[in-house]
Amino acid sequence: MAFDTFMFILMSGILLGGLYALMATGLAVVWTTLGVFNFAHGTFVMLGAYIAWQVTQSVAGGFGFMIAVVLSILVMFCLGFVLHFALIKPFERNQNVVLLAVISTLAAASIIENSVLLGWGPRDKQIAPPIGSKIDFFGASINTFDFVILGVALLTLFALAVFLRRTTMGRTLRAAAQNREAAELMGLNVPKLFAITLGISAATAALAGIFVGSLRFISPTFGADPLMKSLIVVILGGVARFTSPIYAAFVVGIAESFSAYFLGLYWSPALLFAMMIAVLLIKPEGLFGHRSKTL
Amino acid sequence: MTEPLLELRGLSGGYPPVSVFRDVDLSVNADEYVGFFGPNGHGKTTLLKTIAGLIDPWDGGIYFAGKRLNAEGTMRARVSHNFNYDLFRKRRINTRDVVDAGLIYVMQGNLLFPEMTVEEILDIAPRAARSRPGVAEMREQIHELFPRLRERWSSKIRYLSGGERQMVSIAAGLLAMPRLLMLDEPTLGLSPKLRIELSNAVRKIRETGVPLIIVDQNVEFLTSLVDRLILFDHGTITREIRAGDMPDHDQLMDMMFGGAH
Amino acid sequence: MKYAPPFQRTNGFLPVLLVFAVLLLLPVVVTETYARHTLILVFVYAVLASNWDLSLGYGGIVNFAHLGFFAIGLYGYAIFAKVIGVDPWLALLVTPVFAVAFAVLLAIPILRLEGIYVILVTIAATQLLLQIVVSQSTYTGGTSGMVLLPRLTIGDYKLSSDNRLGYYYLALALLTASTFFLYKIERSATGRAMKALRDNKYYAISRGVSEARTRLWTLGLSAIFPAFAGGFYGAYLRVASPDVFGLGFLTITLSVLLLGGIATIWGPLIAAIVVVGLSQLLADYGAWRNIVIALVIIGVVVVYPGGLFAALQEIWSGFDRAKTNLIAAYRRKTGAAARARAMGTSDQLLETRHGKVSVCDTHSGAQAIIFIHGNSSCKEVFRHQFDALRDQYRLVAFDLPGHGVSPNADPEKDYNVAAYAQIVRDLVDRLKLGNPIIFGWSLGGYVALEYAAAGNPISGLVMCGTSPIRTYPDDMPKGYIPSPHMELAGKRFHSPYEKGQYATHTIGMQKHSEPVLWQAVWRTDGQAREQAFAKLKTTDWQRQMSVIQGGKIPFAMINGPKDPFINHTYCARPEFGTDYAQTPILINGAGHAPFVEDPDAFTKAFLKLIEAF
Repeated sequence: MAFDTFMFILMSGILLGGLYALMATGLAVVWTTLGVFNFAHGTFVMLGAYIAWQVTQSVAGGFGFMIAVVLSILVMFCLGFVLHFALIKPFERNQNVVLLAVISTLAAASIIENSVLLGWGPRDKQIAPPIGSKIDFFGASINTFDFVILGVALLTLFALAVFLRRTTMGRTLRAAAQNREAAELMGLNVPKLFAITLGISAATAALAGIFVGSLRFISPTFGADPLMKSLIVVILGGVARFTSPIYAAFVVGIAESFSAYFLGLYWSPALLFAMMIAVLLIKPEGLFGHRSKTL
Repeated sequence: MTEPLLELRGLSGGYPPVSVFRDVDLSVNADEYVGFFGPNGHGKTTLLKTIAGLIDPWDGGIYFAGKRLNAEGTMRARVSHNFNYDLFRKRRINTRDVVDAGLIYVMQGNLLFPEMTVEEILDIAPRAARSRPGVAEMREQIHELFPRLRERWSSKIRYLSGGERQMVSIAAGLLAMPRLLMLDEPTLGLSPKLRIELSNAVRKIRETGVPLIIVDQNVEFLTSLVDRLILFDHGTITREIRAGDMPDHDQLMDMMFGGAH
Repeated sequence: MKYAPPFQRTNGFLPVLLVFAVLLLLPVVVTETYARHTLILVFVYAVLASNWDLSLGYGGIVNFAHLGFFAIGLYGYAIFAKVIGVDPWLALLVTPVFAVAFAVLLAIPILRLEGIYVILVTIAATQLLLQIVVSQSTYTGGTSGMVLLPRLTIGDYKLSSDNRLGYYYLALALLTASTFFLYKIERSATGRAMKALRDNKYYAISRGVSEARTRLWTLGLSAIFPAFAGGFYGAYLRVASPDVFGLGFLTITLSVLLLGGIATIWGPLIAAIVVVGLSQLLADYGAWRNIVIALVIIGVVVVYPGGLFAALQEIWSGFDRAKTNLIAAYRRKTGAAARARAMGTSDQLLETRHGKVSVCDTHSGAQAIIFIHGNSSCKEVFRHQFDALRDQYRLVAFDLPGHGVSPNADPEKDYNVAAYAQIVRDLVDRLKLGNPIIFGWSLGGYVALEYAAAGNPISGLVMCGTSPIRTYPDDMPKGYIPSPHMELAGKRFHSPYEKGQYATHTIGMQKHSEPVLWQAVWRTDGQAREQAFAKLKTTDWQRQMSVIQGGKIPFAMINGPKDPFINHTYCARPEFGTDYAQTPILINGAGHAPFVEDPDAFTKAFLKLIEAF
């Protein structure tokens, strides 16, 4: 294999890793905070992309793209915030909350998917990337926009980490995640904090969705793939630390792009799922860290 | 006679459908230090959690500084086992109202927030008391009360010893500028050395004028600190002992369990 | 509080028979192809969901690979019948083997994992299966699937002819077989082990239930019928497509299960009718259909997480309560004279802190004796004693709430041993009974002990048909002989047959010899039975035991040697002996209720005891 091919595959793997990190962190944050798995996460990614696409249809160019990103993130944050009260809060005190949340988020996914189908139709769409140029990177010709995506994704995650660690607001979010009763005893409004968490998760999903939508075609059913990939990433990495799923995302991204090259498109997902089952068997707490619910 | 700071009138509660405590009447004055003693599993913690607003009371009233904290009336029985009452029925007491009123509960065996540092916790702790004066002074005081914490300022709670965790919990409770502080088993599982250190700190808190309710299993610790000892058995107050006639461990055991043991 | 009607003669057989008879005859009325198609889909979903319940509801394993079993059945049928070319019927029969093999493979990672990890690994396993199906397009048709699968025929008769009559009956047969299979498993040793593991894992393991083996069995058994259903689905629709791995199919099936209610065999059938019916009704509305169904699912899960079957049960239960309360109100009016004749004094309703109770009081006499009856009985069981002792003692008997002619009360607060003891205390205060002697029969024995243990005024305690318990539930199997009638004691709904069985065994009598007592079993609020039993675990048994062994309160037991419930050797242990009776006094020839079966001998022994107190 030529070096430039290798670099090209590696770079597309890293790019995928950045996107997966963005998606999976959202899923992981909800899991560690609310204690439930959000099966509507994939449709958040999809809906975020559609909202952005709609905006770029009316306002073209790089400026339109910026507005699309901001608007899509805002709308999705609000949607996530509201959905907490509709989907998870009603049975937070039920002992079967995990199972009930699975069904309610699955149903929400179905509603979002079908609403998008009604609103935008089944045909594939693509968000026009604001930057079209390519640059030469160690012999491989790579889109400039890919670097922007990677940079923005990592910057967003870094900002999120700083928000959670350094600001009082972020610290209260973590407090609510780690010990709900103690947080209530400090006078914190835990349901609101949980809703904010789901909002943040939806907002990061939307950002990932916009990037995916400017790289590939989007359709109302494309949420399933991001959901599965985030799932694999979260399992592989574990949720011991904020960074655990991020490392895992790059492992998955690179593994995916290399296996797609060597094994073919069909076998690459199978390999990933097999990897995930193997990790669950050998090290259920994930590759990067201990098994504990933290943030 | 002045109005009591905290007053319970015929308070009943538990985890539906299991009733844990019944018809508890109690009043605590603004300058009083009250101890609770009783066997494990007889509802002391459930009572405190109810007062703190974590659990809905079934019946009776909780009055703090003359204000009623819980909703009027009796909690209606659930007709259906499957219907989601949380959706339509309002909570009968709100933890935030209790905290805002200045009634602060420090939980038992408190792991608090395992992945946060002492500094982070004490940063968010006064959130409930933003409107109250004296938070800055209290910060200074905490350093004096618990000098041990200063060494552990940036370690996570997970890595602290049981006594240190207890200190962080109490410090966080104090930063909420309590008008009444409720400590649930502060000496649980502590080494004798730490227990002494902790009881010294609690004594100093006493000196600052914050009234306390302490639940504990350690008789010496309790009797040396409180003005009034309340014996709690089978979900009701069975006896009150004033400061003058504090019993020792054996006498207390005898009062509690009588001839049955 | 889950209750599935059993098939035996004792209960619920008739409704089951009726349902299947109706389903059997339905094609006569429903001749239209589309309606039959809907019904066939209902049966398929019901089979899928009710078998999923085996792992999810009964086994407590949140297995999201369940639809993988269905997919294996579907693709197995397709490959065997079309690619390999074996007989379609044979293909249908063979595929469950592969599904079970997959289930066993799946069990290996699941054995080590808990909670959400089980959900995730099973989802991953299904996706792995999907990837294999998609990648082997030569055999499976890849993403586009397979069409024109061989159809099922009997001789030359195509099952699809006569408006799919054959497929209708095949689907019904599948559902019948699956339901019977689930019912048998639920009641087998494996089924009990499953439930024990789900409800209290560590207790079950310490009692020798093997977790690994039980989980393996659960998964393996739950794979059989979904695979049949998958094969049937393939033969019926003649299409196999990877859509069965999709979230849409998962959502519909899971909603059938959850709407029906977990851990009920019948729930999924009811829910399948609702969900599939709704889905077929809205078939023309495309995306709107899915949105409406999803909204219904969220609505039900949020408002009423118990599901449709639980709703039916609650309605039934409410009806039952209203009925028993009406019976009590009616008898209070019409039977007053007859009761006064039997007891020698008329009864009156008295207010206590746990509702109103009907009380009989002879009013005269210095020393009072309070009689407390047992589960599903009434105060008139003591009429012989009222007759014999009224000149020497003041006698008081009352109907517990939800029993006899007392009205029904709040199930959660008023139907338990501690509440009953408080009622006794209230009566002692209201009627000014001083320090009474208390006689407690069966459940009433525990009420008497609880009354004494709470430090209430008492001058003696006699217990009958009750085993002293120190730790619950460990001492229950020592103190009592397990019998099916014991189970009836804590059951909410009784069929007429069960009521008869219970009456015969507790009071030892035939229907016409004791009509009042016989009626009492019918009148009893089922919730009172269920709650009193369920809340035995909240009783302070240690404290009750200290009454027996403390020696402060005179205590003795009188039993019937033919009592089918209590373990006489256990009751005769020296630790329960007192100065008044070293071992329980036995009334020869009597059973669980010696005071009715041999009143003279009983009264003599009882009198001798209380005179010694």
